[in-house]
Amino acid sequence: MRYARRAVAILALTVLATTSACSIEKDEPGSGTDASAKCGSGKDFLIGMSQANNAEPYRQVMNDDVTNAAKDVPGFKVVVSDAAQDNSKQVADVENFLSQGIDLLIISPNEAKPLTAVVKKAYDQGIPVIVLDRKVEGDAYTAFIGGDNVAIGRAAGEYYAKTLLPQGGKVVEISGLPGSTPAAERAQGFREGIASNPKIEIVASQTAEWLREKGQSVMDAMLKAQPDIDAVYAHNDPMAEGAYLAAKAAGKESTIKFTGIDALPVPSGGIKAVEQGRLQATFQYPTGGREAIDMAKKILVDCATDVPKTTTLGTMQITKENAAEAYTTLGGKQ
Amino acid sequence: MNPPNPTAVAEAPPETPPRRPLRLPRDRHAIVDSFFRFQSLFGLVAVFLIAIAVSPVRNGENVFLSSGNLANIVRAVSEIGIIAVGMTFVILIGGIDLSVGAVLGLAAVGSATLMVNSGLGILPTVLIVLFIGTAFGATQGAIVARLGIQSFIVTLAGLQAARGIARMWSGGLGIPIAYGDGPQEAPEAFSLLSGSINGVLPVPAVLFLAIGVGALLVLRSTAFARHVYAIGGNEKAARLSGVPVRRVRITVFAISGLLAALAGIIHAGQLNQGSPNDGAGYELDAIAAVVIGGTSLAGGSGSMGGTIAGALLLGILNNILALNNIDANVQLVVKGLVIVAAAALQKLRPRIA
Amino acid sequence: MTKGPLVRMTGIGKRFGGVHACRDIDLTVTAGEVHALLGENGAGKSTLINILSGVITEYDGTIEVDGRTVAFGGPADAQRAGIATIHQELDLVAGLSIAENMFLGREPRTRLGTVDTRRMRRQAAEHLRTLGADLDPRRLVGSLRVGEQQLVEIGRALSLDARVLIMDEPTAALADAEVDRLFATIAELRRAGVGIVYISHRMAEIEVVADRVTVLRNGGVAGTVDPRTASRDEIIQLMVGRSVDALYGEGRNEPGDVLLDVRGLAVTPRRPTPGRTEPAGVDLTVRSGEIVGLAGLMGAGRTELLETLFGAGGAGRRSGAVTIDGRPYRPRGPRSALARGVAFVPEDRRGAGLMLEHSVTDNVVLSALSSLTALGVVRRTAVRRTVAEQLRALAVKAASPAVAAATLSGGNQQKIVFAKQLLTRPRLLLLDEPTRGVDIGAKAEIYRLLHRLADTGMAILLASSELPELLSLCDRVVVLHRGRTVATLPRASATQQAILAAANGDDAKEAR
Repeated sequence: MRYARRAVAILALTVLATTSACSIEKDEPGSGTDASAKCGSGKDFLIGMSQANNAEPYRQVMNDDVTNAAKDVPGFKVVVSDAAQDNSKQVADVENFLSQGIDLLIISPNEAKPLTAVVKKAYDQGIPVIVLDRKVEGDAYTAFIGGDNVAIGRAAGEYYAKTLLPQGGKVVEISGLPGSTPAAERAQGFREGIASNPKIEIVASQTAEWLREKGQSVMDAMLKAQPDIDAVYAHNDPMAEGAYLAAKAAGKESTIKFTGIDALPVPSGGIKAVEQGRLQATFQYPTGGREAIDMAKKILVDCATDVPKTTTLGTMQITKENAAEAYTTLGGKQ
Repeated sequence: MNPPNPTAVAEAPPETPPRRPLRLPRDRHAIVDSFFRFQSLFGLVAVFLIAIAVSPVRNGENVFLSSGNLANIVRAVSEIGIIAVGMTFVILIGGIDLSVGAVLGLAAVGSATLMVNSGLGILPTVLIVLFIGTAFGATQGAIVARLGIQSFIVTLAGLQAARGIARMWSGGLGIPIAYGDGPQEAPEAFSLLSGSINGVLPVPAVLFLAIGVGALLVLRSTAFARHVYAIGGNEKAARLSGVPVRRVRITVFAISGLLAALAGIIHAGQLNQGSPNDGAGYELDAIAAVVIGGTSLAGGSGSMGGTIAGALLLGILNNILALNNIDANVQLVVKGLVIVAAAALQKLRPRIA
Repeated sequence: MTKGPLVRMTGIGKRFGGVHACRDIDLTVTAGEVHALLGENGAGKSTLINILSGVITEYDGTIEVDGRTVAFGGPADAQRAGIATIHQELDLVAGLSIAENMFLGREPRTRLGTVDTRRMRRQAAEHLRTLGADLDPRRLVGSLRVGEQQLVEIGRALSLDARVLIMDEPTAALADAEVDRLFATIAELRRAGVGIVYISHRMAEIEVVADRVTVLRNGGVAGTVDPRTASRDEIIQLMVGRSVDALYGEGRNEPGDVLLDVRGLAVTPRRPTPGRTEPAGVDLTVRSGEIVGLAGLMGAGRTELLETLFGAGGAGRRSGAVTIDGRPYRPRGPRSALARGVAFVPEDRRGAGLMLEHSVTDNVVLSALSSLTALGVVRRTAVRRTVAEQLRALAVKAASPAVAAATLSGGNQQKIVFAKQLLTRPRLLLLDEPTRGVDIGAKAEIYRLLHRLADTGMAILLASSELPELLSLCDRVVVLHRGRTVATLPRASATQQAILAAANGDDAKEAR
């Protein structure tokens, strides 16, 4: 093709001409200011919170936790950016924070590998970095705070073994996105938890990819295949709610028990569903937002240098008894 | 034998010389016209000045104007910018290419897989990936040209197909790129894509500007470009005038695919990963840059300079909103308003009666 | 009904910038009268019509309807006052049916508020019958030929119960049979007391149809005459301000060798398109230096034949033999046709000839770009020189080569299409209705140009609906009927009657 060749040739030549004369270097981290020198009480601090995707309720709650907790610390100001699930956007967000001169970075990375470099860049400039929920590679960050999905799954399993189905029964599992770490860990922990009660039997396990509407359709199918289900263990609250809807349509919502995970303190979240009786229980997957601000306070105000590299957060079991209280404690608005 | 030259046989102009139009209105018209023609350039300058004015100041230094920040801006727009250059060609012929974001993802996955899993060097990897992108674009162009299906539909299908291929190729997961000489490692030099020339100019930005200027020259001065404009202006007239409509169409989509693949390689180099989900929605940002640049979606009119300015304008806008900590949702609304304003300005452009 | 005129326009003036488009024009239209408006392009006809139809709302002077002064705020006001306009450039929606187009914006409703499709179709069919048009009102306008679309447009004006009807070149796209039908309709309307403002370039028509002729020149009234008493030359002289004695030019050189030879050409389309008549047995020859006319009714396949010869027809199987210079000629597309020295000026110059929004320069050089480039890069100086030469040679009136083609008058736009095709230095020029919608001055220039081109040895094949044009311009006239050659009439024996008889298929019936 005559044109294509010509156009490509011109493009290529221009590129060559512009690039050949110069030397290309990998970006070296700038010297930056030493953050520890700035710490102390009575000062103002700018904290950048780089969020992977505001559209997920869990991450929105994480943002709220961070900003609300920061309100209680005099001198803290938090700015939040949303990468909308785009790695490149999140890199640019962090770069913009660095231009603005933040004193501390809190980041909940969209994916590990693509954000490792920019997190390292911030860290190498002497800015403390707290990584939330998802890790980055290497160790160029100050601290990681996250939940333990195995532990959460185990807590749910123990609740089944001792409280929900002490006499045993048939359980179906509705799992998260196949291949995702939380789904695998929540499945594994649950099996460890129910091991103490051999009369509990997992009769089916299907994925609903974390989605409420899929939870509904998967449950529909399982209700037809399994006539006598005693309980549904869903890897998150929306899927549990979806399963509840399917059971309700089949008139079985009172004979089957439902549990979820996440326990977000929002009106559409699992705590409200427990309070209103649709779910028997849900298990909090902590956002780490408050803990991150606590740690930021230690680093910036108290000049602490020895914060733990990894903090694993516990879970909270939410049932009808403590639901209303938990909703308030976790910062939910009515 | 040489056919007669028609100009030689035509006769002299008629006795009445054409009346000269008044000077003043023509000049004013020219000024107004050039304002609209270069609206994105004026817009770019305006947004730049506003950005300086509203930028936060840190340690007495204007944060927006700091060299690091300016470099970040051009780095951030370079992928969208390169895609938008290809998109400009497509939109000029009255088409649209929705597949570019997915082709970017496919190219990113390809770059990572070929180097990390297949152990290929940089040059073969780049050539293969660029070939895949070009072939993908050319195929779409051929379907549009041969079967006469609207490009919107063909490239919508292409978007799905490219994403699907990328997911199959990568097993649905992002492929991290580690550097070194060992197996499962990519050549160190690939990471230079995330570097800077002389420590100042980011490599992707240089590639974008070079490609932009090259495309600008192509569009200004080649017969190919005239054919592109002609097809967008009146396809039937172009065909009857002997323009190779099909060939130009296919070439244009091939260029778009090629540039999307190049953007994908840069993407992989910048993020050290090739993920099949990368580049989702980039086609819309690229279209936005083209529209802000004053190119008509109906085809036939527009300029490459406008597109480059449009891409930079979007980048500056994103940056200054972020530097001032404007809420992410408000940022989206502002971007939407700017696109509508740019399109509305084009509508206000006076028609020559 | 009052005795006075339906419409009286007094002292009408309009300026665009510093230019007087109209100045001090008086015009009356009385009931039952056909008042023809003549003038070269730019004489002020369009402006005057736009003022009367409410498109232009600011002007000097007054308009009275039924003796009352009116000021239209827009075309809708004018329509309400009973003034309907049939524009030369048709305002139809291709994707809607005939009936839907006729009632667009004022669809009859049922009691439920939905569109009363049945009533709409019935009324549309009635109007079409009045026009003598045998068209199904459910057909999509896009599938109609230009002439049929014009009938729909006229039908729409009829459905408005207009008392004053402005017709801007209503016959420009009509074949003779349809013209006759239109004239019958006009006679009908006139009897019903409708006043008609009739704009046309065709002198012969005006002699037949008009009661009064007002000639405009340079924005003013050059004179009002009675066409039954005034001679054609007199009227032309009023229009151009000088006498045009030899409109069609002189006799010419002897033709040379056979350049184009077509034997039994037929095309079987892969997908038959409604409204298209593919060649179904065409025989003709064109010698170099010869002008051959193509005559036929609408739908006889003239356009399709020219398109086939240019490689631009519909896809399908081709049979028969076509040679150029004795060598077989089977163009795969316009490109290969141009490469063999065949050029084509299409009928629909806005739709198929020009990029209206692009500059005159861009339009002129489009076909000949390959000769104006070096290594794919356009040589700007060469382009500028070539375009300037062509514009001068064809006496194109344009403010500058940089203005959009849309800004030029119809005649000058046509010259641009000519210039573009001539730059490819063709040896065979295919022309489809080259003078449609072109004023008489430009028409004469085009005729002179065709003569000159033929004198240099170019072969010209010209399709036209204007019989006088064919008779006076062509060395031979080939008549088509349903895609077949039914007669080849040399200049000496070609008469309007002979052509019409053949075009109506009289010969074809015998041949079968």
